[in-house]
Amino acid sequence: MTSTLTHGGAPPTPTKTVRRPWSVPPIRRKEMLAAYGFVLPTFFLFALFVGYPILHTFYLSTAEWSGFGDATFIGLDNFLRAALDPVAQSAFLLTIGWALATTVLQTAIPLVIAAMVATVPGPISVVVRTALFIPGIVSFVVSGVLWRLIYDPNFGTLNAAIQRLGVEGFNHPWLGSANSAIPALLVVAVWQGIGMSMLIFFAGIQGIDPGLNEAAMMDGAGVLQRFRHVTLPSLRFVTAIVLALNLMNGFKVFDLIYVMTGGGPNNSTQVLGTYLYGLAFGSTSGSVPQLGYASSLSIIVMALCTVAVLFQMRLSRRAGA
Amino acid sequence: MSATITSKTVTGRMGRWATSAVLLLISIATVYPFVWMILTSLRESNSVFGGPFIPERITLDAYSRVLEFTGFVGHYWNSLWMTTVTCAVVLALSTLCGYAFAKLRFPFKNALYVVLLSTLMMPGTALIIPVYLQLRTFGLLDSQLGLIIVYASGAAPFSMFLMRAFFESLPDELVQAARVDGAGELLVFLRVVLPLARPGIATVVIFQFLATWNEFLMANTVLQTPDKLPLQPILFSLQGQYSTDWTTLCAGLALSAIPVVLVYVFLQRQFIAGMTLGAVKN
Repeated sequence: MTSTLTHGGAPPTPTKTVRRPWSVPPIRRKEMLAAYGFVLPTFFLFALFVGYPILHTFYLSTAEWSGFGDATFIGLDNFLRAALDPVAQSAFLLTIGWALATTVLQTAIPLVIAAMVATVPGPISVVVRTALFIPGIVSFVVSGVLWRLIYDPNFGTLNAAIQRLGVEGFNHPWLGSANSAIPALLVVAVWQGIGMSMLIFFAGIQGIDPGLNEAAMMDGAGVLQRFRHVTLPSLRFVTAIVLALNLMNGFKVFDLIYVMTGGGPNNSTQVLGTYLYGLAFGSTSGSVPQLGYASSLSIIVMALCTVAVLFQMRLSRRAGA
Repeated sequence: MSATITSKTVTGRMGRWATSAVLLLISIATVYPFVWMILTSLRESNSVFGGPFIPERITLDAYSRVLEFTGFVGHYWNSLWMTTVTCAVVLALSTLCGYAFAKLRFPFKNALYVVLLSTLMMPGTALIIPVYLQLRTFGLLDSQLGLIIVYASGAAPFSMFLMRAFFESLPDELVQAARVDGAGELLVFLRVVLPLARPGIATVVIFQFLATWNEFLMANTVLQTPDKLPLQPILFSLQGQYSTDWTTLCAGLALSAIPVVLVYVFLQRQFIAGMTLGAVKN
């Protein structure tokens, strides 16, 4: 049937081609085969190393398994156990709290800074944007190790600075005390996360029609009024994106906490990611890897991320409308 | 009337100076940890604690220590080649796939697209257990190839998404004209479409380079033989090993950040363009 394609591109004569309902015209078939050839490699790898693993997690979450031998099916017991496990409970709440806190801080601060950057002369603007973005390009391991040195109780720069301000012998263990560990970690996360959001806001502000600001100025609007009535409403869509990106990144938290506190002291900085990683891979002497229980926590992390995605879809639909 | 305008511009100018001053202070505070890191790496190892902010004597001893005693060069090389290969694989996969979704028509196109993108935001921690088991099934545990495959599989959908957005901005006529000339689909892609996609390619490569170079969780879990490890897990373990030798530790951190800083400095414009594109198209 495809042999009717003669050179010169003459269309096949209708009498020769028996048109079946499922048949595809020759060019389209070539296009289709090529398209599958182009898509298949990505899809194949995705199916093997992303798709199947996700489904496998659901299966594992209903089992008790150390990774060797046969898994025992235990239904929803892992989830029940998570609901009753005080560490899992606090890790769950901390993951949500962490995501909300980083989302608010990494959206509000960059928004204000971006609005400020937009008003200063070009060279200063470039310097500030570059400086604020640099922490965002290094790894969480680099920033985590670096900030551990800064927070070091005995020799850290932070305590040394406080001592220089006159507090004799101040050696607070910032990461070693349950009260200050989370705020100390948040500072690092915000330090690292501001730059990216700020650049997105800055690009958004550049896109605002300058006429709007001029008109507001003619009406006698001050800086704050213009921010509130011109900048903020114009950035609704961009803000929705930044909020959603930050929320998703917040739920993903792992590296920074793993490097800086490992979930301690006393599980006070344990989030779902660090807790499940420890259960599955951190087998200290004697403890058996608990892949089933850890997988049930993975499912909870996935659920949180899905909520963030839905939230983003909703926000951007509403902001775009 | 003119008086109010001048007074306004004067306060405006003063406001701008004040804003600049505040922003520069924030910038200094932001880069301070890096300045401190580099200064510490240049100190003599016995003068870290209690010395002045600017070291009295500058030495590169810490750099020679980190290169000599930690197998740093080998790990650096691991990071470099694994990152490069990952970038190449992701680029090949994502340009082909993104082009198909942007310009070609085929059954189940939307369904496949939705499936690929549905898991875009799944974090590594949620997948680490089954991915580990999957690598074990294929005998790819403790294998650098296995790690690269995991990186590429996880990252290709997002890059595909970026490339699709890019290819969609190219006119359809371009593809059709090339087809009329009798070129096959692969030839159209390689000869006509790909050369026009340079900005998109730059974006994908930059993103992938930073992401792979900085990746810690998978590398730390999948690889066990110390010689095979890339830099991030090594830096993590140096933290314990050199907990009292901050000069060596800081020298290692500084060296490890050189490639990402270079990428950022030289490709900043594409980077920011790509980032805003990615964010806005989301």
